[in-house]
Amino acid sequence: MKRDHNHLQPNPDPSSLRGAPSTGKAKVWDEESAQQDCGMDELLAVLGYKVKTSDMAEVAQKLEQLEEVMCNVQDDGISHLASETVHYNPSDLSTWLESMLSELNPPSTFDPFGAAGTAAAALDDSFLVPAESSTLTTLDFDNINRKHQKSGQQIFEEASCSDYDLKAIPGKAIYSQKTQPQTHDSSSSSTPTNVKSEKRFKSTSGPPSPSDIFPPPPPPAAASYGIPTASTRPVVLVDSQENGIRLVHALMACAEAVQQNNLNLAEALVKQIGFLAISQAGAMRKVATYFAEALARRIYRFYPQNPLDHSFSDVLHMHFYETCPYLKFAHFTANQAILEAFEGKKRVHVIDFSMNQGMQWPALMQALALRVGGPPAFRLTGFGPPSHDNSDHLQEVGCKLAQFAKKIHVEFEYRGFVANSLADLDASMLDLRPSEVEAVAVNSVFELHKLLARPGAIDKVFSVVKQMKPELVTIVEQEANHNGPVFLDRFTESLHFYSTLFDSLEGSVSSQDKVMSEVYLGKQICNVVACEGVDRIERHESLTQWRNRLSTAGFSPVHLGSNAFKQASMLLALFAGGDGYGVEENNGCLMLGWHNRPLITTSAWKLTNKTTAISQ
Amino acid sequence: MNYGFLSSFFQKDLFLVLGFVFECLKERGMAGSNEVNLNECKTVVPLNTWVLISSFKLAYNLLRRPDGTFNRHLAEFLDRKVPANLNPVDGVFSFDVLIDRATGLLCRIYRPATAEEPEPNIVELEKPVVGDVVPVIIFFHGGSFAHSSANSAIYDTLCRRLVGICKAVVVSVNYRRAPENRYPCAYDDGWTAFKWVNSRSWLQSQKDSKVHIYLAGDSSGGNIAHHVAARAVESGIDVLGNILLNPMFGGQERTESEMRLDGKYFVTLRDRDWYWRAFLPEGENRDHPACNPFGPNGRSLEGIKFPKSLVVVAGLDLIQDWQLAYVEGLRKAGKEVKLLYMEQATIGFYLLPNNNHFHTVMDEISEFVGSDC
Repeated sequence: MKRDHNHLQPNPDPSSLRGAPSTGKAKVWDEESAQQDCGMDELLAVLGYKVKTSDMAEVAQKLEQLEEVMCNVQDDGISHLASETVHYNPSDLSTWLESMLSELNPPSTFDPFGAAGTAAAALDDSFLVPAESSTLTTLDFDNINRKHQKSGQQIFEEASCSDYDLKAIPGKAIYSQKTQPQTHDSSSSSTPTNVKSEKRFKSTSGPPSPSDIFPPPPPPAAASYGIPTASTRPVVLVDSQENGIRLVHALMACAEAVQQNNLNLAEALVKQIGFLAISQAGAMRKVATYFAEALARRIYRFYPQNPLDHSFSDVLHMHFYETCPYLKFAHFTANQAILEAFEGKKRVHVIDFSMNQGMQWPALMQALALRVGGPPAFRLTGFGPPSHDNSDHLQEVGCKLAQFAKKIHVEFEYRGFVANSLADLDASMLDLRPSEVEAVAVNSVFELHKLLARPGAIDKVFSVVKQMKPELVTIVEQEANHNGPVFLDRFTESLHFYSTLFDSLEGSVSSQDKVMSEVYLGKQICNVVACEGVDRIERHESLTQWRNRLSTAGFSPVHLGSNAFKQASMLLALFAGGDGYGVEENNGCLMLGWHNRPLITTSAWKLTNKTTAISQ
Repeated sequence: MNYGFLSSFFQKDLFLVLGFVFECLKERGMAGSNEVNLNECKTVVPLNTWVLISSFKLAYNLLRRPDGTFNRHLAEFLDRKVPANLNPVDGVFSFDVLIDRATGLLCRIYRPATAEEPEPNIVELEKPVVGDVVPVIIFFHGGSFAHSSANSAIYDTLCRRLVGICKAVVVSVNYRRAPENRYPCAYDDGWTAFKWVNSRSWLQSQKDSKVHIYLAGDSSGGNIAHHVAARAVESGIDVLGNILLNPMFGGQERTESEMRLDGKYFVTLRDRDWYWRAFLPEGENRDHPACNPFGPNGRSLEGIKFPKSLVVVAGLDLIQDWQLAYVEGLRKAGKEVKLLYMEQATIGFYLLPNNNHFHTVMDEISEFVGSDC
């Protein structure tokens, strides 16, 4: 949104570039402890705050305590809370307040500061719980943005060049490192300095205080409380409906005719749509054309050939990656969560269900390489569909990543698996190592919804994921319900969804990228509208629906915090014509939207109950 | 005629005495925060209201930086938002409209679902309103010009209520905020939204094919409503009424209520000053007419067809003297104004329906708008 982002402050506070320590590790509060009718204060719930009536007095007390402490500390203490601390899930007032109290009041049983009073001291490593939030560099985004490359190869070569030298951070790229007091002033060209004395309240995270450690709540029930129930249908009109009203009417009427199997009428309407579309401009015309084509295919039963035509998809996918921030947002936010989950682990294994050209991984590897204490050994297992030209494209991707890893000195291991469906996967194929030895993260960007086309597939995949005993599962999905039982509803929802998406592309700088992105999205439209059964793989569902599926399957939310939010917001500012983009926090998940209409959601999950993972 | 205002004179004397005592007890250098005040504050509002407003206060303290800049990212992260929803909830559905691409100005439209069409057709969101007289309320959310959005949960909830009680269409304006966008951005956005609403044929009442517009807002939104109304009537467009809830006004002088209530009920003078400094053009002081419309740099409204106003003042709001002066200014210029002085009300009382002030005010608003139908 253009509202305020022009821009932040004249002199970026260097302390804001540092990653923030917080109380203990990445927040894993089980929001499912706030179930329906669990004595939640209804009035506050409507306003987005989950507080149990029985906890109200205690929450009030925490507020008072915080007020008191904040009066006692100097202004720096407060600014620390604002710029350093990572906040999580503000809807859970009690926990949010508690985390701030812990920041301002180090636990009394432990006094690392001793004689130093409240002044920052360089803490002995042994006292520190490895604090979580390193934050990713977005340098690679800058590079990839700046250079339009048609083939995948070059992306990695660029990424490996000395642009990663942190001493010369260009423009708006952000680098931030966690607790150890190093500062990287964006304007500075000197080597990183050590403790900056202005930072009074350093890393108070220390070892987890008793209040930080909550026993995991019992497995959650299906629904989550306080989230807009069942179906919320957000719509943004980017142009007055008066303009395209006849066109939209015709589209809807045609879809209705199709649903009623009145194919003669439908055919007549499709032709009419063609004429009406010509008189429209911009996004509306293109969207209408794609939907009309999809309707025509459905009417004439001329179904699209190969939903999995891979080589062309790759090219389209990459242009989409360049043109608009959706994929970058997805990668960025997922990587942030993975980075935090891998804190302190010496060997890590990422299992990627959405390998494509592996564009998500250089940034993560880079961040791991820069980790304090050195990078872990990094193993990557990638899944992808078979390619039509018989080339082993997954292997090629792996080789490039290996070269990159070598340049940045990260021990790297790679394996690619070709599979028509993720449901073909078995844990035994993966050569999993004991979780004490190797931490696993599972990543899925726009892949899970495809499994909904076959009965049982999603459940099989969830159960296999559980067998992997992951520290974290990151999931990015479209924020829409395009999988309802009624065709007309799916049509309507997707019409608005893709209209919004296409509108966001209009501001793109490169017209070629824009066209390719539109083709990329057009294929999805075609699938949603023209296909059925196992062929209809674009079965997008909303966050609420995914939450239900995941919690039923035995997963609990891991919250993404204010640091990821901020970095994601700043990433968006890099996109020209992108003033309409905005990030929103929703009960620990992050959503990217266009003009307040959420379009994609990143969520993170862990096993609710680790010990029973094997038996599932 | 509201008699509550008169009886408050006696209350005020008592407050003065108590206030003096509390002042003596204050030891810390900071405005107003000590246990006595916290307890007192808690006794006048329900506990969940206290929790809500205190949480805002806490968050807002984190967001304002001493150098006048604002932590916008953290603000957006912390703000609880809700999406628009075409599915009617309690008979009201909503959708967002981008009304000015250049500035990214969004409005959220709230409409009542009808018996004939319980499930609004996604194609017909801009279907003509049905009725001889259909009030359209243009709402400006509060937040002292810096906080909140049209899609903030607190304001989404309030707007939905207004639809119900006024049988109106509500248009909530997502105006640009300070400090990134100073005066006159918020007013310009308000004016853009006003013109847009006024030119929608689908919002016209059947009786006279005109859009029946009311302007409403709380805190900074109330301030914006006033200024947009002034601009509207200058341009010859009718506004049927202004509804100002705890409107944000101020001035260079320190008034008695400001000194007496500083820090006592969630709000401090210091933060008020911060927000004015963030909104007003650099170098201007609080006697700028945006802040102090009837002050030394203000302009009389005599002879101008300014709409009738409903002004709600909370008796525990430290800026009430300015709000009362505003009411006086309207009266002196011969404008119709009804003052609702809610003695024991604090800021934000209208956010939760758990107190009498809330219901009183909602009834008054309903009547205020209904009286034209």
